[in-house]
Amino acid sequence: MAKEMIAMLLAGGQGSRLYTLTQKLAKPAVPFGGKYRIIDFPLSNCVNSGIDTVGILTQYQPLVLNEYIGNGQPWDLDRLHGGVHVLPPYQKATGSDWYKGTANAIYQNINFIERYDPKYVIILSGDQICKQDYSDFLRFHKEKGAEFSVAVMEVPWEEAGRFGLMVADENDKITEFQEKPKEPKSNLASMGIYIFNWDILKKYLVDDENDPNSANDFGNNIIPNLLKDNREMYAYRFDGYWKDVGTISSLWEANMEVLDPENSGINLFDDDWRIYSRNSGMTGHRIGENAVLENCMVTDGCSIDGEVKHSVLFAGVKVEKGAVVEDAVIMGGSTIKAGAQIKHCIIAENVVIEKDAVVGAMPEGDTKGVATVGSNVTIGEGAVVGPEAMVSDDVKGGDRV
Amino acid sequence: MINSNADSAMGILFPNSYDSLVPELVTERLMASIPFASRYRLVDFVLSSMVNCGIDNISLIVKRNYHSLMDHLGSGREWDLTRKKGGLNIIPPFAQKTVNIYNGRVEAIASIIDYLKRQKEKYVIMADTNIAVNFDFKDLLQQHIDSGADVTIAYTREDIPKALRDIDVTKKDLYYTLGIAEDGRVQKIVVNDKQGGEKNVSMNIYVIERELLMDQIRQAYVNGLTYFERDIISPQLDKLVVKAYRHDGYYARILDLNTYFAENMKMLKEENVNALFAPSPIYTKIRDDNPTRYAVGSHVKNVMAADGCVIEGEVENSILFRGVKIGKGAKVRNCVLMQDTVIETGATVEHAITDKNVRISSYKELKGTESFPVFVEKRKLV
Repeated sequence: MAKEMIAMLLAGGQGSRLYTLTQKLAKPAVPFGGKYRIIDFPLSNCVNSGIDTVGILTQYQPLVLNEYIGNGQPWDLDRLHGGVHVLPPYQKATGSDWYKGTANAIYQNINFIERYDPKYVIILSGDQICKQDYSDFLRFHKEKGAEFSVAVMEVPWEEAGRFGLMVADENDKITEFQEKPKEPKSNLASMGIYIFNWDILKKYLVDDENDPNSANDFGNNIIPNLLKDNREMYAYRFDGYWKDVGTISSLWEANMEVLDPENSGINLFDDDWRIYSRNSGMTGHRIGENAVLENCMVTDGCSIDGEVKHSVLFAGVKVEKGAVVEDAVIMGGSTIKAGAQIKHCIIAENVVIEKDAVVGAMPEGDTKGVATVGSNVTIGEGAVVGPEAMVSDDVKGGDRV
Repeated sequence: MINSNADSAMGILFPNSYDSLVPELVTERLMASIPFASRYRLVDFVLSSMVNCGIDNISLIVKRNYHSLMDHLGSGREWDLTRKKGGLNIIPPFAQKTVNIYNGRVEAIASIIDYLKRQKEKYVIMADTNIAVNFDFKDLLQQHIDSGADVTIAYTREDIPKALRDIDVTKKDLYYTLGIAEDGRVQKIVVNDKQGGEKNVSMNIYVIERELLMDQIRQAYVNGLTYFERDIISPQLDKLVVKAYRHDGYYARILDLNTYFAENMKMLKEENVNALFAPSPIYTKIRDDNPTRYAVGSHVKNVMAADGCVIEGEVENSILFRGVKIGKGAKVRNCVLMQDTVIETGATVEHAITDKNVRISSYKELKGTESFPVFVEKRKLV
């Protein structure tokens, strides 16, 4: 049975710039926004856009991600024909290879795509926070008679040089592609989201694979090759909220923006475009006698008796009486004990901050870093973790890091 | 067949039992689907307990108003009950028998006797849904097997709640207290004990061999008997070995609107929540709400809240279900606000229970008292 469009979601990235947060899990599995993981966004977008077949390409630390995706039921992607499939590299009769690049990852799964005989394939990236209607993107692709389209965002000219840029004419037809240029000719940054006609994509993947000099990458190889051949290439302008949460500071920032949906543009309280996730199954959260809450998000299983301001708390977080939490992202199952001060930081899952410990500080002068504590770490009683610190191992009581 | 293990049991629940005790809450639902503890329905507790004890073949014999229950349970996936063999099985009244919707357990079970015949489990565990409890069915079954009893009844030792003593017999909801000998054998079953004082109050949880249950029900049915306890067990206490099993853990028995309010309020104490939701988890329907948002200017003390709420005003000593919105300057004290209740700007609500989708308009005042909470029915605009 043919599908009009299926999605291939690139989720193999290590996310090395998230350091300790991605030591044991792939970037798309990083928790976000109180009860989600990053991958919930592209998956929910797919379902909300009517795409019911998604291949997830994994490679780096796939355990957490595999378990999280499971049979895809939380996203309504457990289907008789289609649904969600996790696609790790596998052994073939001719040998086996890791995914060498983004294009190679898709190339190695040509057989998977062919099973659905799609007309179009959308390539998604598993490390962005974005609510996007892919069906509108597809409508654009069809209207333009495109063979390839890329979703682009307008970025400020002064920052354009950090992006892969699409130079397009008045009809949105792409005339040139610049990868992180010194002198940008455009401010349309590629979001790394592409729609291909499957026959075109397949041809270029095969050609690319036969080119021994290729890095097998969409941005560096496939797109330039399409341009060289004068293919019908169009830029689809997207003006909603979009954030690549590839660094500690951008991840922290995006979480803070969730607290300000009126101004930031990222609204998780949108019944028409719900973001689905695997639920913790914990009981409703409890706010105690001594709690002070101001501008924060709290989810199931939390127990709060301290002061929490401008923060995002994930499932099962405990904040004891007398603890102060401000500008913080505290992931699932972590405990902040009495008297601890947690500020301007990211605390990963199942961390214990003992009594009177201090993690991070409000930005002052040049120290604007986001302190980060890796998962399953214990910060001892009275220990101090500085505003720029990144902690992956236990800190003994009274120590300073 | 795996399920024919010597100690396997199937479950039968009676979701309409004691409906008459809470008429306000069951106008459009039944006892089993009454919301409880911020994100659950009463049925979740017994159902999850059974699942956690390895019981994966559970039938619910419903009688009326079961739309909300079907909606809540769906295919049973959230309770891990989507099984090829067994799983969740909701049994509505049989079309030909609708003129005579069952009264009491005898008719209810008689209506599924052919189904019971085809099951493989050796034992049947029956329960009502008006008690929120994390029940150890494994332990109950083990005691039943070890003691060699024909029937085992679970009970709690407590002062008979006033609401039970006040029960209206004409409404046909009976309750039972047990006289228990030293060896744990039940000697006497008292129906609607009016005396009060500390008694052994039956939880209406029973274990019995499936074959024995079918025999007893067949006999009782042809003799026109109605109640399992009053008409089958009680008269045969000398013939059948009926043992008692005491439940000492936490439980919340819903007997009227006041106990409903009080039992919800007890969830504000951490030790009660820990006792009810441990050691094994309680499952419920997933709604995919976003996390709850506490805006600038919110004041919150002593609250249990589910996901999907937006709190801009003041809340104290209250239970908030999923999707409750409390506007700026609104004051909510000592309330149970069910799903998607909206308290608009500046409104004051105290000692109230609002059913689903209630809206209290701006600057309205709504106050009940501790002994007499105001109840606002489903979808009402105040």
